[in-house]
Amino acid sequence: MIKHLKIIEYALSSLLRRKSKIIAIVFAYSFTVATLASVLFLTHALKTEANFVLQGVPDLIVQKVMGGRHELIPLEYAQKIKAIHGVSEVKPRFWGYHFDALIEVNYTLMGAGGATKELRLLDGRLPENEFECAVGAGVAALRGSDYSGELILVNSRNTGQLFEVTGIFESDSNLLTNDLVVLTDKAVVDFFGFPEGKATDFAVTVRNSNEVQTVAVKIKKMFPDTRPITKSELTRTYDMVFNWRSGMMLTVFCAAIIALCIMAWDKATGISAEEKQEIGILKAIGWDTGDVLVLKFWEGVIVSLSSFMTGLVLSYIHVFYFDAFILSTILKGWSVLFPDFQLIPSVNVLHVLAMFFLTVVPYIASTVIPTWKTAVADPESVMRG
Amino acid sequence: MTFIQVEDLSKIYNSGQADEVTALADISLSLERGEVAVLTGPSGSGKTSLLSLIGCMGRPTQGRVVIAGKDVVKLPERFLTEVRRKRFGFIFQQFNLIRELTVLDNILLPLYPLAIGMAEMKTKGLPILEKLKIIDKKNLKVKKLSGGEQQRVAIARALINEPDVIIADEPTAHLDRKLAQEFLDILTILRAEGKTVVIATHDPFISEHELVGKTVFMRDGHLERIEEQ
Repeated sequence: MIKHLKIIEYALSSLLRRKSKIIAIVFAYSFTVATLASVLFLTHALKTEANFVLQGVPDLIVQKVMGGRHELIPLEYAQKIKAIHGVSEVKPRFWGYHFDALIEVNYTLMGAGGATKELRLLDGRLPENEFECAVGAGVAALRGSDYSGELILVNSRNTGQLFEVTGIFESDSNLLTNDLVVLTDKAVVDFFGFPEGKATDFAVTVRNSNEVQTVAVKIKKMFPDTRPITKSELTRTYDMVFNWRSGMMLTVFCAAIIALCIMAWDKATGISAEEKQEIGILKAIGWDTGDVLVLKFWEGVIVSLSSFMTGLVLSYIHVFYFDAFILSTILKGWSVLFPDFQLIPSVNVLHVLAMFFLTVVPYIASTVIPTWKTAVADPESVMRG
Repeated sequence: MTFIQVEDLSKIYNSGQADEVTALADISLSLERGEVAVLTGPSGSGKTSLLSLIGCMGRPTQGRVVIAGKDVVKLPERFLTEVRRKRFGFIFQQFNLIRELTVLDNILLPLYPLAIGMAEMKTKGLPILEKLKIIDKKNLKVKKLSGGEQQRVAIARALINEPDVIIADEPTAHLDRKLAQEFLDILTILRAEGKTVVIATHDPFISEHELVGKTVFMRDGHLERIEEQ
């Protein structure tokens, strides 16, 4: 133990003697780890958020489609769907997107009847009449509704409508509520000018979750102009979207990884004359090959671990404190996440371990292997060069 | 009593290649414990190569090196390092100090792989610095020292493991006469302590000094003659 501590002490002093080179390596290394980790942290955080949202999603969503586009669905479909064996509830949902030209952000307007069970109010209550609303924390902050208690939105007839804010949502997931404005169902229909007797879609609850796919097939057969979407399909879609985006980003950052590999290869294929001389001196004064390898091992550990940790901390701060401002445009998407929301810190340990094994281990190997090639030689031949 | 025995020693560099060099050919000699021996001869005569082989810093192409009755040539690397650490202290021509480290750190360097604490290491190192009169420089970086002071640091480092044999390669090559005399003064102390000293030099100021008990003359890798005083 004392021996290792002494060698670590020498390794630190040895690294300090090569300050500028080591700083350059740590900088490049940390940057690579930080970019990789940012992509993985952000993707994982978004997936976590998305999974949280999906917990509150009904077993089956039924939309009407026309020409491949989402259409409003007639309410009379609900009765026939409810009659299908295994269906316990069919709830019409009234919702849509609203662009707030005043501050140039998108809101999701939803009828209180279709709000998911995951929504909880931080303060107040859900709207009870068409002049009331409850809003997400992001909307409240952007429009100052938490102070004024009011929200004015311009409806489809280009008329300003004043709503009294009766509640602000609390949720473990900002993704779920941040851009949300909940009105009564009737107010949503009126706001968007939906025709009577039509809803945006249906939320269908199935008693036995194993039967969801069967029910979906029956609905499609009964109403060929509908598109039943199961919860598992939604989950898959979210996963695919985020995997595709993170895959794209990782491809871009391959350049950074390649740079790291080149650096590692450069180290692996040779050590400087100065380093060789030092190894020769150490061996001549009584260090054996194992001692020299331990020294280089600790040098590699110190550089790679400190770079790895720096990169990890930087990426954590970037993603979870600064909302991944560098990557967010690419990874978050373009429309549904306005206004800004803060990601809930969530880290996949496997991702961290994978990055560790892909960066730290090769670096240490690239430090130790060329040293080994030199250290096994006689001190005389090492010092001769 | 023979302490170091060299028998039919040869060293060929780049053997079998176009640039093959025979550095040593059939060298045999013996050194007594406590003896001061000088290897002398022109540049390229094989002094440094012989010194390296005696000091277990390299392996011969052929022949034997026996230290205190044990043939070290065939020892595995780990045991050879142990012999080097316990038996030999090296003073190199270019001193081979680590310039960015302090005097104290440089002389303690051979002790780092041993499982002893810093306090004990200093207990070993500080008296040597005192003996060599560089104790006041112990916290200075080596690069700030003069040539003579650097040589004292190199000698101190060679002594830290209390070796039986001191090996010095052209120790006065970069020193003026006054500093060379100081080196001889230190050598006198080491001899009095019973250390065996082997020096490679072509400086007559060293090779002809009364301290020297044996002078080995070399040329082109061959041993010309041995003179004993």
